[in-house]
Amino acid sequence: MPVLTRLASALMVLFVVSAMIFALTRLGGVSPARLVLGADAPAESLAAFEAEHGLDRPIAVQYLAWLRALPAEGFARSYVTGQSVNQRLAETLPLTLELVTLAFVLAVVGSVALGSASAYGENRWPDHAVRILAMAALSVPGFWLGLLLMRLVGVQLGWLPPVGVIPWARGVWPHLSSLLLPALAIAIYYIGAMSRLMRASLIDVLGQDYTRTGVALGLPARTRYVYTLRNALPPFVSMAAMSYGYMFGWAVIVEMVFNLPGLANALLTAIFQRDYPMIQAIVLLITLVFVLASTAADLIQRALNPRLAT
Amino acid sequence: MSALSRSPVALLGLALVLAMGLIALLAPVLPLPSPTATSILDTYLPPSAEHWFGTDALGRDVLARTFWGARSSLAIGLGIVVIGMVLGVSLGLAAAEAAGSLFEELAMRLVDIFAAIPVLIWAIAVVGIVGTGATQIGPVSLSNEAKLVLLVGVLFFPGIARITYGLALAELKQEYVDARRLPGTGSAAILFGDVLPNILSPLLVQASVLVGIGIIIEASLSFVGLGVQPPMPSWGSMLADSKQTVFSGEYWLSLFPGLAIFLSVIGFNLLGDGLRDLFDPRRRTRLPKETA
Repeated sequence: MPVLTRLASALMVLFVVSAMIFALTRLGGVSPARLVLGADAPAESLAAFEAEHGLDRPIAVQYLAWLRALPAEGFARSYVTGQSVNQRLAETLPLTLELVTLAFVLAVVGSVALGSASAYGENRWPDHAVRILAMAALSVPGFWLGLLLMRLVGVQLGWLPPVGVIPWARGVWPHLSSLLLPALAIAIYYIGAMSRLMRASLIDVLGQDYTRTGVALGLPARTRYVYTLRNALPPFVSMAAMSYGYMFGWAVIVEMVFNLPGLANALLTAIFQRDYPMIQAIVLLITLVFVLASTAADLIQRALNPRLAT
Repeated sequence: MSALSRSPVALLGLALVLAMGLIALLAPVLPLPSPTATSILDTYLPPSAEHWFGTDALGRDVLARTFWGARSSLAIGLGIVVIGMVLGVSLGLAAAEAAGSLFEELAMRLVDIFAAIPVLIWAIAVVGIVGTGATQIGPVSLSNEAKLVLLVGVLFFPGIARITYGLALAELKQEYVDARRLPGTGSAAILFGDVLPNILSPLLVQASVLVGIGIIIEASLSFVGLGVQPPMPSWGSMLADSKQTVFSGEYWLSLFPGLAIFLSVIGFNLLGDGLRDLFDPRRRTRLPKETA
């Protein structure tokens, strides 16, 4: 049952990560009570605050209580802002999901196109151009590219909104156009990495005997393209699925650049307010997406390549 | 080194990396203004003969800040990889040597778990929780930069451990290893004396690429205010400052620190790519084989 083992290990990861984050928030730094009540709050009110929120119990007990409440109630109320963590996540997660999904689409479409152009034109100018482009894409910090695009495309040319997000209510295109630059800033690294993989994988398939036989027998170019692409896909699909999880990390930085009210905003605000329940919830949520993405990558890999399934 | 001359890509990468390294090393002795000296009369000056990269909102010299920024960026990027390499290589070698044991199983499970943690989010959250600024742990005082290197470096170990493990496992099956064991040579001597030198090339390729990622992570953390703390210059925090000028157009504030990151990272990536081509025997003999 490789699928079950895979899911079990995914669950294990979530436990370990949540426990580590929990331990860090409790061990490191200052008591939340001190942060909420201020530097000169008397000891009695600090103790009362800790007792009220269960912060005076041993860490392990606190962790288990937190874990037990998770399935039924979700995340607790933040004791810094008094706001429900569930509600804050519900407000900020959709935008980040949308942004990352758009970035994912850009990365997949861009890298399949560039990787194919490169492989089918191996050692000719399209190949050289794509390889230089891919190397640059791998090396440019996405948030800097975001700043440059914001200045050039957003402010100077005025083609796309430079900052913020336009709500769905004002139309699909205005909404998507306001997310295009940040999505590109997130996607750029993966366009580079995935088009390199696509190229290598396609060149490998194109060099196989069955491809040469097909070409020798007069296989039309379009059919050849479809067949070779299909066979070159497995490693690409696996990397693409992984990248979906990674993109959440970069989204945090890029949301900052473009002033987008997504998860990044929630996370950074929580960090500067030392809002531990909020930090825990967001890190766990992103780890969950990440673990789901890598589990999906694994399962898709197995489905595409039955030889791995045993 | 002579092998490097056969790969123009690796040479270009090496040149960029060395240039950045020299800038970092020489920043204190070059005739530059202080990177932290403010001047109210010289704010937002465009690039000129006097200020090659212009000045920022506080009248500080952007060239000096970019050069000084190389110090923290490169040191942190390298430091992260050194921590990751020390942990990853040791664990990978030990797990390969203990193949079939409970230790191997546990070690590789641990690697799986740590590999499933998204690095950037973890770095932001952990640095955010632990806090910026120096921390006292027992008798040791850790600077903010040292803490950052440790916290992020730990997350670099799983990838390195996996690669080391795979390579070492294959290497340990070689006959010369058995020959070394016969006279009673210890595990540690074989692992570090024979196996490690033989698998070093692919590890160096990996390390080179990881330094590039380390530099971007440092810049990202500094960009959100969790990395190098002001007034010390860092490329990431310079870019964060430059955000205010996106609408007013003082392009030099974002152009130069961004280019510095880009050139350093592309240097390490090219070096890694070039080394990979050199070390990979399949590619080295590719041309004659295909014509045969």
